[in-house]
Amino acid sequence: MAMPERSSPDVEQARSRLLKKVTARLARAAAVSFWVMVIAFGLIRLAPGDPVLARLGAEAAPEAIDRLRHALRLDVDPATQFVEYTWGMLHGRLGTSIETQRDVATIIAESLPVTLGIIAVTLAMALVVAVPLALAIATSRRPWVPYLFRATTSVMLAIPAFFTALVGLIVFGLHWQIAPIIGYEPGFPANLRFLWLPALVICTHLVPVLSRVLHASLVQTRGEEFVETGIIRGVSRLRFTWFYLLKPSLAPSIVLLSYMVGVMIGSTVIIETIFSLPGIGRSLVGAVINRDYPLVQGIVLVFGLFVVAVSLAGDLLANWLDPRVGAT
Amino acid sequence: MNEGRIGIAVGATMLLTVVAAGIAVPLLSEFHPNELVAIPFRPPSREYFFGTDQLGRDVFTRVFAAVHRDLGVAFLGVSIPLVLGTAIGILLSLATSRVVAALTTSLIDAINALPLLVLAIALIALFGPGLQSIVIVLAMTNWARYARIARTRADVVARMPYIEAARLQGYPRHRILLRHFVPNVSAETLAYALSDVILVIMLISGLSFLSLGAAPPTAEWGVMMSEGRPFVQNAWWMTIFPGLALCWAGIGLSFIAEGLSRRERGAGE
Repeated sequence: MAMPERSSPDVEQARSRLLKKVTARLARAAAVSFWVMVIAFGLIRLAPGDPVLARLGAEAAPEAIDRLRHALRLDVDPATQFVEYTWGMLHGRLGTSIETQRDVATIIAESLPVTLGIIAVTLAMALVVAVPLALAIATSRRPWVPYLFRATTSVMLAIPAFFTALVGLIVFGLHWQIAPIIGYEPGFPANLRFLWLPALVICTHLVPVLSRVLHASLVQTRGEEFVETGIIRGVSRLRFTWFYLLKPSLAPSIVLLSYMVGVMIGSTVIIETIFSLPGIGRSLVGAVINRDYPLVQGIVLVFGLFVVAVSLAGDLLANWLDPRVGAT
Repeated sequence: MNEGRIGIAVGATMLLTVVAAGIAVPLLSEFHPNELVAIPFRPPSREYFFGTDQLGRDVFTRVFAAVHRDLGVAFLGVSIPLVLGTAIGILLSLATSRVVAALTTSLIDAINALPLLVLAIALIALFGPGLQSIVIVLAMTNWARYARIARTRADVVARMPYIEAARLQGYPRHRILLRHFVPNVSAETLAYALSDVILVIMLISGLSFLSLGAAPPTAEWGVMMSEGRPFVQNAWWMTIFPGLALCWAGIGLSFIAEGLSRRERGAGE
């Protein structure tokens, strides 16, 4: 189909610049993914001393040592190991858990939905609270409001999530008994009963960060000329809030959110352990305590690639929403 | 400007009280942190301010005996990556080899892409649990965050007119490096270090809470909280008081960091 030759050189140029930006960002994501793979691969090999002996103990039978060394493929040279590892990974093979003899990819596939569930509920909660909060503070005329906001968020950010989780468990789980303290039920509405408190706990860190960044960009947007135009033109309040204030301010928050997904994955490790949720974070802690190297390696790889993908998506989305955002 | 000063004053007071108590309480207390002084699970009283734990140790003495450990390890855990990362970041900015620069940058990106706690836990699997391992693990991972900041700052400094002036005057490279790059860049990384201390304290106590850091019977906040966790229903003081000490120190540091950054911004405007 022939396209009408309408695009001016300007548009053409902007398009090629965008294409270049996106390609550069994709290349960076690929490079980072490669290093994530190398880090995950290097985990066992970096170990000071012998990881096989560390797991089996010094007085283990030589045959058992040889068997485990062979199972971990530590008996071939590193280059072959890396090729095998990459090849297996591309085919979805992440090895077998030493502890349970189960397929690592299966274990991850089973526990990942729980962790993603926590993250999804947390994101929804945080948006519902942080967006109105940031708007209210940015549009407030009382001078003490921003001070109080900054002080409160500083305090909240300095309280470790596992402390909040324990307090939440005491208050909501044991005292008021409105949250289950143990157990989990998969499936969408059923799991909410188990996820709301963990999500709320993570929100005590996510809401301050998100509302701060959104507040800062709202304040910046408020100073732009087009906002004044909106006021002079007398657009409706709702329209003004969305088109003139919120939408132009969203890009930094989206970049931040995609970064915070990584931070949240870190906090789910502790939160899942405290609330006994069968997520991937708790599997990681268990795997580390059991020195189950293939499982540790698989989880680190999946976490890393997931974070890289989310941050790529966040950058591209922010760029699409607001082309002023540079590809840095 | 004013707000910044209040924040710094409040934060410094909070931090000093906990440090002072961390020095004074173990010296003045009649109990040893690991001594069995009373029957287990005594609630807080005039004799045992924070109650006693499952073995009958004095929680008050233990909470403050932990100060030097938590804050000391955090200090090490921040300063080693700070120095390493600043140096690597500056060198990276001045690197002439494009390949080396690109490879290092993507390694830095990859380390920063992995959640710090996840990477730390995975590395602890190799080094074994312990506070020493935490310091090693932090040195191996956290430098990347400092290197990122240092590199960005060093790139800006490199374009400053005074660098050009210094070059034209024929000063040797190491002099430009030490007199201009290091002070300018480390101002930036130090500012980040201040807020990083809070994260690192949380990491240390969090890992210990997961039994991947300090081990019982060490008096450490995370360990004490994890020891108290099974008894949280009846002996809340075992978990809450170490947690509050942790929050107190964290909030103090957070106010100082926030205050300094407000003052900086105020001075810039």
